[in-house]
Amino acid sequence: MAEGYKTAGDAEHQHAEPHIVPLIYYFGVFAVLVFGTIITYFVATVDLDGRLFPGANTLIALLIAFFKMTCVVLIFMHVRWSSRLIWLTAIAGFFWLAIMFAFTMQDYLTRSAGVFTG
Amino acid sequence: MAHVADIHDEHHYHPPGLQHQFEDMGQQQESASIGMWMFLVQEIMFFGGLFTVYLVFRSKYPMAFAAGSNHLDAFWGGLNTLVLIVSSLTMAMAVRSAQLGKRNLQVVFIILTMIFGAVFLGVKAIEYSAKYHEGIVPVSGLNLKTDKEIRESDESAGSPQAPVGRQDPNESLNTALGDHDSHGEKYVNTRGDFLWKDTSLVVQAQQGNYLTSDEKIAYFSNGEISQAKFQDKVRIFFFIYFVMTGLHALHMIVGLGIMTWLLWKAWLGTFSALYYSPVEISGLYWHFVDIVWIFLFPLLYLLGRHFLHGGGH
Amino acid sequence: MQNVNPINFEKIKEEPKVNYLTNGFTVKSWLLTKDHKRIAILYLITVSAFFALGGTYASLIRLELLTPASDLLQSGTYNRVFTQHGIIMVFFFLIPSIPAILGNFLIPIMIGAKDLAFPKINLLSWYFYIIGGSLTLYALLQGGVDTGWTFYTPYSTTFSNSYVMAVGLGIFINGFSSILTGLNFIVTIHTMRAPGMTWFRMPLFVWAHYATSLVMLLGTPVIAITVLLLALERLARIGIFDPAIGGDPILFQHLFWFYSHPAVYIMILPGMGVISELISNFSRKKIFGYEFIAFSSIAIAVFGFLVWGHHMFVSGQSVYAGLVFSFLTMVVSVPSAIKVFNWSATLYKGQISYDTPMLYALFFIGLFLIGGLTGLFLGSIGLTVHLTDTYFIVAHFHYVMVGGQVLAYLGGLHYWWPKITGKMYSEFWSKIAAIIIFVGFNLTFFPQFILGYMGMPRRYASYPPEFQVLNIFSTAGASILAIGLIIPLIYLTYSIFFGEKASANPWLLPGLEWRTSSPPPTENFEETPIVYWEAYDFTEESGLDLEDARNKYKVTV
Repeated sequence: MAEGYKTAGDAEHQHAEPHIVPLIYYFGVFAVLVFGTIITYFVATVDLDGRLFPGANTLIALLIAFFKMTCVVLIFMHVRWSSRLIWLTAIAGFFWLAIMFAFTMQDYLTRSAGVFTG
Repeated sequence: MAHVADIHDEHHYHPPGLQHQFEDMGQQQESASIGMWMFLVQEIMFFGGLFTVYLVFRSKYPMAFAAGSNHLDAFWGGLNTLVLIVSSLTMAMAVRSAQLGKRNLQVVFIILTMIFGAVFLGVKAIEYSAKYHEGIVPVSGLNLKTDKEIRESDESAGSPQAPVGRQDPNESLNTALGDHDSHGEKYVNTRGDFLWKDTSLVVQAQQGNYLTSDEKIAYFSNGEISQAKFQDKVRIFFFIYFVMTGLHALHMIVGLGIMTWLLWKAWLGTFSALYYSPVEISGLYWHFVDIVWIFLFPLLYLLGRHFLHGGGH
Repeated sequence: MQNVNPINFEKIKEEPKVNYLTNGFTVKSWLLTKDHKRIAILYLITVSAFFALGGTYASLIRLELLTPASDLLQSGTYNRVFTQHGIIMVFFFLIPSIPAILGNFLIPIMIGAKDLAFPKINLLSWYFYIIGGSLTLYALLQGGVDTGWTFYTPYSTTFSNSYVMAVGLGIFINGFSSILTGLNFIVTIHTMRAPGMTWFRMPLFVWAHYATSLVMLLGTPVIAITVLLLALERLARIGIFDPAIGGDPILFQHLFWFYSHPAVYIMILPGMGVISELISNFSRKKIFGYEFIAFSSIAIAVFGFLVWGHHMFVSGQSVYAGLVFSFLTMVVSVPSAIKVFNWSATLYKGQISYDTPMLYALFFIGLFLIGGLTGLFLGSIGLTVHLTDTYFIVAHFHYVMVGGQVLAYLGGLHYWWPKITGKMYSEFWSKIAAIIIFVGFNLTFFPQFILGYMGMPRRYASYPPEFQVLNIFSTAGASILAIGLIIPLIYLTYSIFFGEKASANPWLLPGLEWRTSSPPPTENFEETPIVYWEAYDFTEESGLDLEDARNKYKVTV
């Protein structure tokens, strides 16, 4: 047992050499982020709530933000080239956030529903 | 312990930067990376609590949130978003340079990242100071208002139809500093209270019939729009604004601290293709702080913007 | 004892010249140590001190309730006493007890690692614990808090004149201790396992701690931000939780219980992990349904996040939300039940030896069963209206917290005491103490079920005279329990100085922690172990010598 000794850990983690991401990815994400920001601003000035449905403005803004976030997470944060555990971790974070939102709002949104009050 | 350590040293090649509890660099790097991701997960939940508060109150009082949001300056907010995006790019480039073992490039990119981070904080300071001068810091005693503004707001207090418009914070900032103050003297609102007079959005929503059931109670007393009650709800928006952006700024300051340390290490040429995980995980942190802002910008600055451009609902 | 494995002790017969306890004797070598075993000892001392303090408050509560009138303590003082009992026991004893002491000590050893992944962060989390604890103690000395350990608004905002901010800050800082410990465990379990230590060869203690760490990591930040908002609310009078100016006190409860309900699983999952070890090892039988127990821990951690609203059935949340939370509460009981079934099935046809740790384990199963089943009563949305804020609730969670976690903690402490200190304790006294604790505990808390059912509310210094008989029983039981808890303190301390020297494997068990000397060397193992046996493997295979095993299994490392 000399130098070649490896620990078990998770079998997939042995990436010794760094993965060099091609520059085009970084600049692509950068462009997406800048354009996303500009679009977010201009969409916010249009009254989609009135024209489409209430909450449309926020929904679109959040969709753009979500897309921007996905780009940052996948490319800048290298998740695209990372182990499944990192994928799982990133997703779990947002899943738990969703639990907190959903289960808090299921109370607030049904306060006036009056299940038993007829 | 002593002879254990001896065995260890004799039989293992010990690369620089390898800590004693790890067997090899791959394991150490993996641990650092997973550790940072776990830390980011707890950060998500930390900010998540605030986003939950935001969600609850915004769903209760959308008009108060829109009114408060419209008073934030989307120019500064948008500029800061772009600044942060650029800093994220330079951070990604710094990580890349470290992976390629390019020490000089890495130092340059870390410095650039720090500069953009500092610019962000500077803009934030300008915005906070504007809020202070405008009198809309939601904490009593933390506001400065001039004599002129108090009189103006007192005049319009009776009429809920006060014109709403994009107010330039710089205008009131300059007024407060005495640049354009025709009276030449300034009086301070010694109470430093949060003062909010403008209820025009409520009127608009009432006419358009899209007040929520909560709002129909929360903004009115005896069937009349209550400026004081509306002010309380706007105050909640500004409180959430200050806590969220404040904690975000705190994370930026911590990030700058990390960057300073990283710069020192990079300057010494510590990082190479074999050992770059400190740069990598600092990058993860920096990008996370960026992501928080990506959500804060539309949720805080833009949520009522369409009311300013002739929108009804 | 035909199945007892013949572990070859050649490798560990030679005691290392220096073990972790003798590796440095200065104060600095302890306070700046990065050795997970020493940090565990630091936690052991500090957590025990907080346990003693919390126990003192409990004694005061029971003494006050001896008589119907509020004579020993006035109502205001009584409020402070039960609040501080709750805060200290929950945040400074139950949550760090098993993870930070036993988990810290054992997880690296059980998976064959030299240390946790981040030793400095491990030390840092102890300091966070100390700073948070000191702030809390400071607040207690200044006059304490009277809000209840839940800090419900408006008790903690509009109507409180006590030291909420200092305690809140203490809990905020202590939260980081918890988060960092959880983070450290997760990373360690992922990346530090020895060769051959696959996920399904890990002891269930490690699985339980993995699940606990998930809860710590995902839940604790939410209480941190909630307490921060509470402090800002008090500081700036914002009104975010104040209904008079548009705030929402129920929102505080949502945020609080988003953490604090999963936190009750932080307080029981590690205990379940200990019990899995004890039941299997002292039955000398492979645990029944290993995978089910492992995954039920994870299931508890996940489902535990979906049920917090059952603390809010009567506080004004919507009826619909109550229904959902009530249903999910029933669901979350399933994985706990799976564990109890599997433990019982493990006992079947096992070679049970009634050593002290096993006594605690058997007590645990019985008491946890009562605590868990009464939890189902309380999770039923109809019945709970009658039982909310009565002594029934108090009895329920003490059956789970004390009958569960504290007994598991004591069982685990006895079980691993020879490994931690290298000394054996008195078997006679430890059995006596275990039985006294069991009797005292039941006498204390069983009458409270009846009291609660009869309608005695919690958190009052006085009560109607017809409740007095049962309260006297309860106080008498508390005295017995106190004696039972003092005895171990004496004989365990005695054993450190005068105890018989423990061998590397006093219980003759196959686990990895028993394959290093007692106490272990600083780096845990003389050389990195190779794991070729399943957990709780009592066949001959597990007793192979390291070299033989390498040859036989052709372990290529």
